[in-house]
Amino acid sequence: MSTWGSRGNLSAKPGRDGRYPILTVEKLSAWYGELRALQGISFSANAGEVVSVIGANGAGKSTLLRAMTGMMNLGKRAHIEGRIECQGRRLDRLRTEKIIEGGVTMVPEGRMLFSRMSVEENLLVGAHIPRARDGIKDRLAGIFEFFPRLAERRTQSVSQMSGGEQQMVASGRALMSDPAVILFDELSLGLAPIIVDDIYDKVRQINERGVTCLVIEQDMRRALEVANHVLVMLEGDIVLDGSPDDLSREEITNAYFGTRPEGVA
Amino acid sequence: MAGLSFEEQVYWTLIDLANALLTGTFIGGYYAILSIGLALSFGVMRLVNLAHGEFLIVGAYISAVILQVVNIPAFFVLFIVVPIMFGIGYGLQRFLLNRVSVQAMERRGMSSNFGLMAPILVTFGLSIFISHGLLAIFASDAMSINNSLAFSAIRITSDLSVSTLRFIFFLFAIVLLIALFLFLRHSATGRAIRATSDNPTYATLMGINTEHVFAVALGISLAIGGVAGFMIGMTRTFQPFDGPQFILIAFGVVIIGGMNSIVGSLVGGVLLGIVQVLAGTYFGPSAQLVGGYMLVLAVLAFFREGLFSR
Repeated sequence: MSTWGSRGNLSAKPGRDGRYPILTVEKLSAWYGELRALQGISFSANAGEVVSVIGANGAGKSTLLRAMTGMMNLGKRAHIEGRIECQGRRLDRLRTEKIIEGGVTMVPEGRMLFSRMSVEENLLVGAHIPRARDGIKDRLAGIFEFFPRLAERRTQSVSQMSGGEQQMVASGRALMSDPAVILFDELSLGLAPIIVDDIYDKVRQINERGVTCLVIEQDMRRALEVANHVLVMLEGDIVLDGSPDDLSREEITNAYFGTRPEGVA
Repeated sequence: MAGLSFEEQVYWTLIDLANALLTGTFIGGYYAILSIGLALSFGVMRLVNLAHGEFLIVGAYISAVILQVVNIPAFFVLFIVVPIMFGIGYGLQRFLLNRVSVQAMERRGMSSNFGLMAPILVTFGLSIFISHGLLAIFASDAMSINNSLAFSAIRITSDLSVSTLRFIFFLFAIVLLIALFLFLRHSATGRAIRATSDNPTYATLMGINTEHVFAVALGISLAIGGVAGFMIGMTRTFQPFDGPQFILIAFGVVIIGGMNSIVGSLVGGVLLGIVQVLAGTYFGPSAQLVGGYMLVLAVLAFFREGLFSR
């Protein structure tokens, strides 16, 4: 069994709790034109964690992912301020391809596969960055071992596959870049519950092999099941940050909907 | 065919038909090379390169000038012309067209529709600039590439022959299109070009530098244009303002074959070539263009995105 995320703790130093912060976001703000979509948020993720970011529609979750992958550097149309670091390397001023090269990759909402290409070609495109080209055949074999269904359909066009299979391709494609951190955006969107169970099982397995995962999800139950660190976002801000073991369901629900606990003025 | 027996009439009718089909097919290879660059730039960048015809003429001039200066076999000039044209294409996309692309317009907060229009306007301006630049340098005198094959023919039977150059160019087209197909299918850069063609935003998320990929794609487009320019120079005379007639052929081929298909370029070229030659054979030379563009209209009517568009 191959291990991914080997770049995960190359240069990180242990934090106060003895674990390795692999990803640090400080005072991150994001604007779409005049609209401020992120309100100067800060958090960090330790190496080997699964961080679930939950929040209602419009809470700023997807904007956070766009900011972390350089997709908000659009000049007047959209821009960010603040600091994002991965493994001690500053990412917020880098172009997307340099961020991917730096070890952060994304499984986007809606899969975003290359519809005119086969399963294998989609996976190979995932290893486009120079760092990922060494050992590309071994990594491809590892992906096919991890997702046997994809091995059976390696030459098939992805446009002919089911939503669950497409999600496997999207996850495999992200793994092909040998990332330290994978950002998963709305994994459960449009999929049957039984498929979503499988997908989240794979997320756990990916994490167990050394990849830090940041999961954006509207389905609070699933997000909490998979996470060992939870962030709740509301109106562009992080309103709750902690371990799901330390937080009560009520606290998380109140934060999610922006309501105050009973008895609090 | 007055005075001929029935058998002779049938024989000559078949010979005319065979000549038209052979000539049309071999012209089709040449047409495919004229057009594949246009299909590639549209398929990848959604760029309608209105200066495509002028770039073919630039390729012809570069070939002719080099062969006037350097004493090498004519076909060897391609080893110089192709890299030069690739460099022109790469630089043009990287330093000019990328600045007015859909992505660049969106970064500036402008409509992506403007990003579709702006490069068309820029290439229209380029076409005028290039043709007048060529006029300033070379005047309006017709030029051609002297070669021993210009009047050579391959005789198949006593009454059936094909131009040696057209035959060589057809083989060239087959080899070039297979090479391009293998490059796009099996190389990392080729896959990046196809991924970017599919969706530039998704490609960016895979760590692909789409601006570089666009530049490589236009580089390849113009490099093939350099080959086409060489073919033009080898088969006919050319002048600075000849570009538009070639872009019309290229548009015809691309419309017939489909905007993003390599096979479509070859099939489109062959079909256009055959129809033009058949129209010329049976209705006179003036019917050639009309016949060709009736085919284009027919394809547009029934296959709006071309025969091989995916």
